[in-house]
Amino acid sequence: MTTFGEVAKRGRGWLPLIGLNALIGSAVTLALPTVLGRSVDSIVAGSDYSRWLIIAATLIGLGIVASIIDAFAGAACVAETTAWLRHRLVRQVVHGGPEGARGFETGDLVTRVSANANDAAQAGPAAVTALAAIAPPVGSLVLLALIDVWLAAAFFGGVVLVMLVLLAFAKRTADISLAYQETQGQIASRLAESLTGIRTIAAAGTTAREERRILGLLPELHKHGVVTWRILARSGAQAAVVGPLVLVAVLAVGGVQLVAGKITAGELFAASQYAVLGAGLGTLTGVIGEIARAKAGVQRAAEVLAIDAVPHGSMALPAGAGQLTFDHVTVVADGNVLLDDVSLDLPGGLTVAVVGPSGAGKSVLAAVAARLRDPSTGHVSLDGVPLQAVSRHALRRAVGCAFERPQLVGRTIGEAIAPEAVSPVRTLAAARATHAHDFVSRLPDGYLTSLRRAPMSGGERQRLGLARAWPAHRLLVLDDATSSLDTATERQIGRTLTEDRHHRTRLIVTHRPATAARADLVVWLDRGQVQAVAPHADLWHNTSYREVFG
Amino acid sequence: MKRELAYGAQSLRSRATVKLAAWSVPEILPTAIYGVAVAKATDSFLAGQVWQGIGWLGGLIAAAGLGAVGARQVYGRLGDLVEPVRDDLVRRVVGGALRSGDESAVARLNRQVEIVRDTFAGLVMVIRSFGVTLFGVLAGLLSLAPLVAAFVVPPFLLGFALSLAVLGMAADRVRASLQADEELAASAGMVFGGVRDLTATGAEEYAERLVGEPIEAHASAERALAKVGALRTLCFAVGGWLPLLILLAAGPWLIGRGVSTGTLLGGLTYVLIGLQPALGTVMGALGDSGLRFVITLGRILDVTQQTEPERPLDTAHGHRVETRGLTFAYGPKAEPVLDHLDLSIPEGDHLAVVGPSGIGKSTLAALICGMLTPTSGQLSLGGVAPTELSTAALAETRVLIPQEAYVFSGTVLENLIYLLPDATTTEVSAAIEAIGAGALITRIGGLEATVKPADLSAGERQLLALVRAYLSPAPLVVLDEATCFLDAEAERQAEEAFAHRGGTLIVIAHRITSALRARRILVLDGTQATLGTHPTLLKTSPLYQDLHGNWTPTPPAPTAAHPQPPAGTPPTAPPADHTPPAPTATEDTSTASRHHLAAGG
Repeated sequence: MTTFGEVAKRGRGWLPLIGLNALIGSAVTLALPTVLGRSVDSIVAGSDYSRWLIIAATLIGLGIVASIIDAFAGAACVAETTAWLRHRLVRQVVHGGPEGARGFETGDLVTRVSANANDAAQAGPAAVTALAAIAPPVGSLVLLALIDVWLAAAFFGGVVLVMLVLLAFAKRTADISLAYQETQGQIASRLAESLTGIRTIAAAGTTAREERRILGLLPELHKHGVVTWRILARSGAQAAVVGPLVLVAVLAVGGVQLVAGKITAGELFAASQYAVLGAGLGTLTGVIGEIARAKAGVQRAAEVLAIDAVPHGSMALPAGAGQLTFDHVTVVADGNVLLDDVSLDLPGGLTVAVVGPSGAGKSVLAAVAARLRDPSTGHVSLDGVPLQAVSRHALRRAVGCAFERPQLVGRTIGEAIAPEAVSPVRTLAAARATHAHDFVSRLPDGYLTSLRRAPMSGGERQRLGLARAWPAHRLLVLDDATSSLDTATERQIGRTLTEDRHHRTRLIVTHRPATAARADLVVWLDRGQVQAVAPHADLWHNTSYREVFG
Repeated sequence: MKRELAYGAQSLRSRATVKLAAWSVPEILPTAIYGVAVAKATDSFLAGQVWQGIGWLGGLIAAAGLGAVGARQVYGRLGDLVEPVRDDLVRRVVGGALRSGDESAVARLNRQVEIVRDTFAGLVMVIRSFGVTLFGVLAGLLSLAPLVAAFVVPPFLLGFALSLAVLGMAADRVRASLQADEELAASAGMVFGGVRDLTATGAEEYAERLVGEPIEAHASAERALAKVGALRTLCFAVGGWLPLLILLAAGPWLIGRGVSTGTLLGGLTYVLIGLQPALGTVMGALGDSGLRFVITLGRILDVTQQTEPERPLDTAHGHRVETRGLTFAYGPKAEPVLDHLDLSIPEGDHLAVVGPSGIGKSTLAALICGMLTPTSGQLSLGGVAPTELSTAALAETRVLIPQEAYVFSGTVLENLIYLLPDATTTEVSAAIEAIGAGALITRIGGLEATVKPADLSAGERQLLALVRAYLSPAPLVVLDEATCFLDAEAERQAEEAFAHRGGTLIVIAHRITSALRARRILVLDGTQATLGTHPTLLKTSPLYQDLHGNWTPTPPAPTAAHPQPPAGTPPTAPPADHTPPAPTATEDTSTASRHHLAAGG
């Protein structure tokens, strides 16, 4: 579990500098009242006056340099830590696979990476400056005691009061920040949901209603927001009283001592400044607020970082035709048995159709075959090697997978087909084989058309999804991946698949009898169990088999 | 910049602002009295009058108590001022996103709105306390010794002016940072939405880089900002520390002119406790919050201030569709998707539109439904241009069901009566019965059960969307591949339900079977369009022959039995082979043909 400390430690390179500067700043702050007091005394006395002026000027100069460095270092440290945390979050989500990200909504994950990571990155500087910010009040006490013990006593009472205010503040802000962030995340999720149906909404003219649905949570957000200000109001008022209270106590006691001739006017001035330092809530409240936000941010990041990366073996695949073996594979999720002791031995190079009614486990079978999820028990092997033992690189080069609803990722159409294309030749070949080239070439910028700006139908997306999976050299898993294609295109791709020049094993989840008919073998699934493995023509006599196709 | 400041000023026009300002007045008193009290008390102590000194200090406490009452009220009023602004921005972002379909709005909602909220609150508070302090200190200094004020105020104002000059330098960097932030949210959304696909492609590293680039861009923009921050600190030194040093240096001269020790100390107190913190916060706020406020708000306003096209007409006369010379292209340079289409769809017609995907079928549907504006030519729906009709009138005239069925988190019933909120139970059951969604709804748990869209398959979502469309009051139904995820039987039932529903049915066909059920068929073939019935088109349209020939309802035996495409006909007839300057497309066709020759041999 990632902790506050771990994120804070990340700023290692900067934190000593930030800490040092904060300390110098604190030291200057502490020394200055005494030096200024002495300067005033020397002015009144009319002696030694230029020496104290020079010392005061030097101290102030030092303080300015420290704060300039601090301004740069603090921001730079947060920038670097944010970037580091964001890279980690992205890596974790991406390597966690589909099962890892299942518990999170996309919009929520984006919030965690964009907003919460930035909050979390404040952990280091906030913690360090919090330490340095404690120095002035504590130092003031010591220096006050050096001037006069009674001044210190008056001051101490004030500081205790201030601490109490701060503690109460930090705790409540963390709770409220979290509630506020969660409500915000819910609004974002609802908006993301509506955006998936934007065409329906626009056509139905129900934009206003969708607005109301999403904004239904706004009063709640408003409520959480107002509470934040109320808490600030209380502590703001407390600070306004507590600050002068300490100052006045110190000044009154100091005045008595001044009359008694125990301290000078300059020392009284210094004492008043130390009293102000001790009670000065300004920086400390800000820092503690930041720590509270950083804590909430770290917590949100930690939930993502707890995703386990999918483990991969290190083996390469031996030479082979793409023989796919299921050995007593069972998949259980949330207490439901999705695949029930499936054993299959599919010879390499064949087209294998997977058919069955909805909920039969076809997609789960495809996902397990492509190692998009792992069996609960049993294992799947390709050419004799269990998929879990194969290195990720070898696995993904050998196995390609296309989906009913492909999510395309990339800056351009070309990148969505082949993210790391060395040359455009393979992209083009894949696009042609899957008839994606037909429409891509009609786009204004062809393969360089921005993916975000290219409006595409489901069938067009499917063709790009197919093209993306096409280069796999041993096994192609198509999970209903041609369902949105029009009849003509579907048929052409079907033929390309059946007559695959590369002789790959093709596992095709389908609802269409034509596809099953073209396959060499059909795996017929029902309620997670294999009913039969045979050619379509042999199974067609079976009435319940025919019912699968409606 | 003007627009953003105007928005800010507009937001201040509320009773909360007046209250905020009013409650700030008590705070001026402790600020003003601070230095005076310190000066008078010190002079009293120096004169040996203890109780008089303590009396001055008591006055300070009383003033602070008054100030605290004000401070508490001020923060409370601040919430009343800021939260409505945030609410307004959330409304704008959500409204804008729903009108533009812009997916980066999700990021805008989370990050940018919060930035504006925080910065706005910060600015209000800081400018307020800057004013309070200036008033207080000036009043105090002038009552104490105007001579001291002459030494303190000018360098203070100089530092303030310098810091304002630095502001301009920061603007571009803040903008770069925000842009990177948006880019980050957009690519992160794309990647997180596609984890399954990235895993399947083994493109994890690519995805990391895709999001990694904006992460780095953001970090470097923030580092650049850090440098400006350092410069700003320097300006602070001028305004905050120079008055102090000048006062010290002039100390002997001032004392010589009869200024008391207490007054000198009071002057120092005003600088250290009053002016310095006020300058520090106001500069920090203007430089950081101020710029972030203006730029972030600007981005929100840019994307949310869309002028919606005028839709002046309230009624259509029936739902007949007429097009003459209808032409549409997605861009000025792009090939037209529809080219001079003449079409007439009388009321009660059942029309199927067929053709290879990507040929413009959905574009035609969108044009008829008033979602797109023709590039040229005429189009009328019920005698008027559909883009002129108000959305309410459009919704009562036609219903469009796209391929991507929209199901939202809510009860099944809420989803079904989406287009007819006052539907009766009988109407709902009849629609469910007609479409054949009964089994699905029972499985979900009945009409009152809550649907989670992600738990339904694409086909199941389509079934719900079809029931919803069936319930719609609109007489013209446009199914834009709305049944593509259903099996053939479910598709037949749905289409027949709509055919018997009354009114016009336009089916953008996904399977050729849809054409067989239609009264008339429109074959779209790139720039050409042919209208006819099944028997006539089989004779006149080579593309239709091909589409139809390629369709085999339930093939009894494997591979060998497939018919060859008619000789000489391009298999899918990509539209580009009608457009001369498209060498790649022509090349593609020949490749496709070669495949078929290979297949045939």
